[in-house]
Amino acid sequence: MSHPLSLPAMPLVRVRMALAWAAALVFGLGAVSLVRLATTTLPLRAPLAELAYYPSGRALRPASLGHAETAADLAWLRAVQYYGEHRRTDLRFLQLDHVFDVLTSLSPTFEGPYVFGAFALAQEGRDFAAAQRLMLKGIEANPRSARLAFELGFLHFVRPGGRDLEQAAQWFERAARLPGGPPQAGRFAAFARQHAGDLAIALLLWDDVRRTSTNPLLRDMAEREIGRLQKAIRTGRRQAAVKRLTTPAVILK
Amino acid sequence: MNTLLIAQNTFREAVRDRVLTGILVGGLVLLALTRVGSALAMGEDLRLTVDLGLSSISLLGLLVILLVGTSLVAKEIERKTIFNLLSRPLPRPVYLIGKWAGLTGALALVALVLGTALSLLVCVLGSSHHVPAIAQATYLAVLELSLLTSLAVLFSALSTPVLSALYTLGFFLAGQWCDDLRRLASHLPGGVREGVALIADVLPNLPLFNMRSLAAAGDMTGLAHLGLATGYAVLYCACVLALASAAFESRDFK
Repeated sequence: MSHPLSLPAMPLVRVRMALAWAAALVFGLGAVSLVRLATTTLPLRAPLAELAYYPSGRALRPASLGHAETAADLAWLRAVQYYGEHRRTDLRFLQLDHVFDVLTSLSPTFEGPYVFGAFALAQEGRDFAAAQRLMLKGIEANPRSARLAFELGFLHFVRPGGRDLEQAAQWFERAARLPGGPPQAGRFAAFARQHAGDLAIALLLWDDVRRTSTNPLLRDMAEREIGRLQKAIRTGRRQAAVKRLTTPAVILK
Repeated sequence: MNTLLIAQNTFREAVRDRVLTGILVGGLVLLALTRVGSALAMGEDLRLTVDLGLSSISLLGLLVILLVGTSLVAKEIERKTIFNLLSRPLPRPVYLIGKWAGLTGALALVALVLGTALSLLVCVLGSSHHVPAIAQATYLAVLELSLLTSLAVLFSALSTPVLSALYTLGFFLAGQWCDDLRRLASHLPGGVREGVALIADVLPNLPLFNMRSLAAAGDMTGLAHLGLATGYAVLYCACVLALASAAFESRDFK
């Protein structure tokens, strides 16, 4: 008589094992088919193939084991600390560009750091090119973000050393066209165009503000500016409608 | 019926385990701690809470699997309680499926408690529109944990608790890099590419269960994603449990 815990007769075990293997194969093939379908039909995440070779923020993403968002949150807290420490002490922001690059590579859809980082880089860091690069990186990752478009416009609008009104106006216009755009985007676009000297476009933009704004004060303002622009165009005295705006400067104490 | 009985028993055992209670309390404390960190978050405190809350569901669940799941079968063998079960007319696959279902149930309970606590916290913060996204992300986390539990049951049926924990952890790490591996494969030459792609197919595709970045922004995922992830989790678990059954059938406890 065989022991109750020993193996049953061999053929039966083999049958059960064969059945189990067959089931594993069928289910496994099904799972592989589904995951292949998922990789082709679901939206792709950012490509990371090259990341293993670069000691940058991008390499941290696979190293975060699927918790890149949490890693980005921790990096955000660290970035704010870094900014605060140097803002309070030596006003040297040598690693700021790298810190925000790491952070935004970990979480490309996290919009706050693009805005904060860009303004800190442009103003305290005195590196406008890096600030612009960071914002463009954000817009590339979030092309439907009206907030980023508006903030990039504003970054150009207050560019230290000299406003870039044309660039500012272009981004404000884009922000105004995007769904969920800030209500002031149209007014900023019209203002920037007007003072950049593009009176015809400014006229159209102010007219748009007058027609679409729900704010009566804004509609009044648009009405006044349209009158001023029409007069300037009619009389040929463009300067009557264009103000000489002050040059933004950053004073760090 | 037998599967249900074993699942109920495993569930009860897991819920009574102090590890589970400790982890649950730890998760709630972590959630409360995110509010302390919010003062440093420069207006991104809600995102911080949602991210850390969802990550804690997934990571603490993994910890439960490593501490409890990997010794599910080995503990019964060590205590010799398995002899009482397997000497009855109970098919061995039923025993394994019951163990898996019981622990998955316990993990779903942990995820439900933590997910509900996170949703309540988010509602208190005035962002109740994040709740559907949190519910979806919690559901996907449960699927991910059920898949990892099936791997833990497989290794537990084959090996010692320590080795099972190491193997399960290894599969978790490799599973997280699955998408990267697949992209890397596309840059490799012919034969190697097929080999690497095959490895990526065999590993559990855990990024499929990750929608934390969407949930952090309050965005929901589509039904296609949820459907594919559910189907994949069911098939992958079935495949791993079938493999575990094949290995367990041939195991002699004499």
